[in-house]
Amino acid sequence: MNFRRFTALLGSVVGATLIVMVAFLGIYAWPAIRFNGWHFLTQNNWNLGNLYANPITIRGQQILPAAHYGILFLIAGTLLSTAIAISLAVPVGVGAAIFLAEGTPPMLRSWVSLFVELLAAIPSVVYGLWGYVVVIPFLSHRVYPWMAKYLGFIPFLGGHAGSGYGLLTCGLVLTLMIVPLITATLRDALVSQGASRREAAVALGASRFETVWTVLLPEVRRVLIGSSILATGRALGETMAVLMISGNAVNYLPHNIYAPISTMASFIVSQLDSALTDPTGMAVRALAEVALALCLISILVNGLARVLLYYQDRHSLGV
Amino acid sequence: MVKAVSEDAPSSAQDSMKEEHPAAGRGATPKLSVRGLNFYYGPRQVLFDVTVAIQEKRITALIGPSGCGKSTFLRTLNRMFETMSHTRAEGEVLLDGEDIFKMDVVRLRRRVGMVFQKSNPFAKSIFDNVAYGPRVNRLARRRNELQELVEQSLRRAALWDEVKDHLHKSAYSLSGGQQQRLCIARALAVGPEVLLLDEPCSALDPIATAKIEELLFNLKEICTIVIVTHNMQQAARISDDTGFFLMGKLIEFSPTEKLFKTPARKETEDYITGRFG
Repeated sequence: MNFRRFTALLGSVVGATLIVMVAFLGIYAWPAIRFNGWHFLTQNNWNLGNLYANPITIRGQQILPAAHYGILFLIAGTLLSTAIAISLAVPVGVGAAIFLAEGTPPMLRSWVSLFVELLAAIPSVVYGLWGYVVVIPFLSHRVYPWMAKYLGFIPFLGGHAGSGYGLLTCGLVLTLMIVPLITATLRDALVSQGASRREAAVALGASRFETVWTVLLPEVRRVLIGSSILATGRALGETMAVLMISGNAVNYLPHNIYAPISTMASFIVSQLDSALTDPTGMAVRALAEVALALCLISILVNGLARVLLYYQDRHSLGV
Repeated sequence: MVKAVSEDAPSSAQDSMKEEHPAAGRGATPKLSVRGLNFYYGPRQVLFDVTVAIQEKRITALIGPSGCGKSTFLRTLNRMFETMSHTRAEGEVLLDGEDIFKMDVVRLRRRVGMVFQKSNPFAKSIFDNVAYGPRVNRLARRRNELQELVEQSLRRAALWDEVKDHLHKSAYSLSGGQQQRLCIARALAVGPEVLLLDEPCSALDPIATAKIEELLFNLKEICTIVIVTHNMQQAARISDDTGFFLMGKLIEFSPTEKLFKTPARKETEDYITGRFG
């Protein structure tokens, strides 16, 4: 086998993995898809049914009596926590990247860069435990009551400040997890910009901030969008940390930003044990359908970002 | 506005370098008057006691072999060296009699524009490239003022006719020579009194080079031009005065015709007759 064929084989194996994985998940989840229909996505009741009764047959599928699978609350929890994380992480990540690429003094800069990269390498379960032991007590005693009292006039920020387990806590911890991804990539891109356009801006009388903001950042726009896509993917799929701090609400839509939630990824982990007790196997198939939906949402988000990038490029190139 | 100042660049003139130098103060009041300029990269000195007077509305060419300090000299005239750390300039540079090291650096760079060796347009439209300086410096109050400024600058850079129908296309859609003229237009848009050019034609073909030389010749009417060039024919063609640098020293500075026809110094003669360099 020559080199070209060998690399082509390796490349297609990696590429085919996605297709094979989604296909097998789809085949496995197919009975659940048939049974649930669109209710799966639009209704808010996950119920394994009566585990002690004999299975019955509905729409050609064997299920437990009263079994019902609707995961609207999971979709809401996943998308909302990711949205909070991304909307906080992009400005923070960009600011940090600018500081690391342009800030002074250089000694501090290289140390902080190292720490940012190490932060990205920490396993998520560590974030989760830290969130559980440190962040939640702090937020629930000091921050959330204050926020609910003084910022309560803003929709979704008022009402009961909750126990600390919930949507905003997830959003904040996810932010910490994805900021290093954005910062490290963007910093490298800013540094590799080289001196020539920076010099041009400075020679025109632009300040340091104006040079970064109006010349260098637009140049690395693609990198920013790309790293934000990766970060979104990580936030959507984050499992362990979220499991430990989300409150694991079932069949419950958050009424404010402090309310407990579940996300699709963490729900699969937390429910697998009980789903395995379903003698018809439908509960595990329904979890596979959750996994499939998570895959599709991630692919969809990725695709949307790519479309955005495409139109951005067209606009900026003026074609 | 934040000033870009390197960590350890003292910006005061050295007082011990006041005595008259034969090359200073020739003719009328010079636009730029440099006295006793020494320049250091860290511990290494790259310019030695440079004294020169650059006259208004003339083209001054700086020639010399690679590494002779001519680009470094150019970069002290608008304090661009300050963007690099561990650089230091000592001596006196006066712009219309005003010490540039005591001037607000943004104001200085507005008055002394610069065009670089490699064309470096921003990833923006042609219009936004030229409008960048006026926008950053808030030079135009209304939209149509800005449009006029952009058109005027592009005309002066002899690019208007080629781009007037697609001002909103990316600057990267232009050819290399057009990009360099765009960079000239961008520098002109802030209305500089002095324009510094650092080997602006070194990456261009002869036709693109000829266009730039021609436009520089016309620009003489509105500003003082200092151009660093590797190309002695170019210096001879376009400049009124020429300075010859060698190993960090300004060996000779005189009217171009005199320098090329009857050089006063042996080193100059050797260089322009191609014995080294």
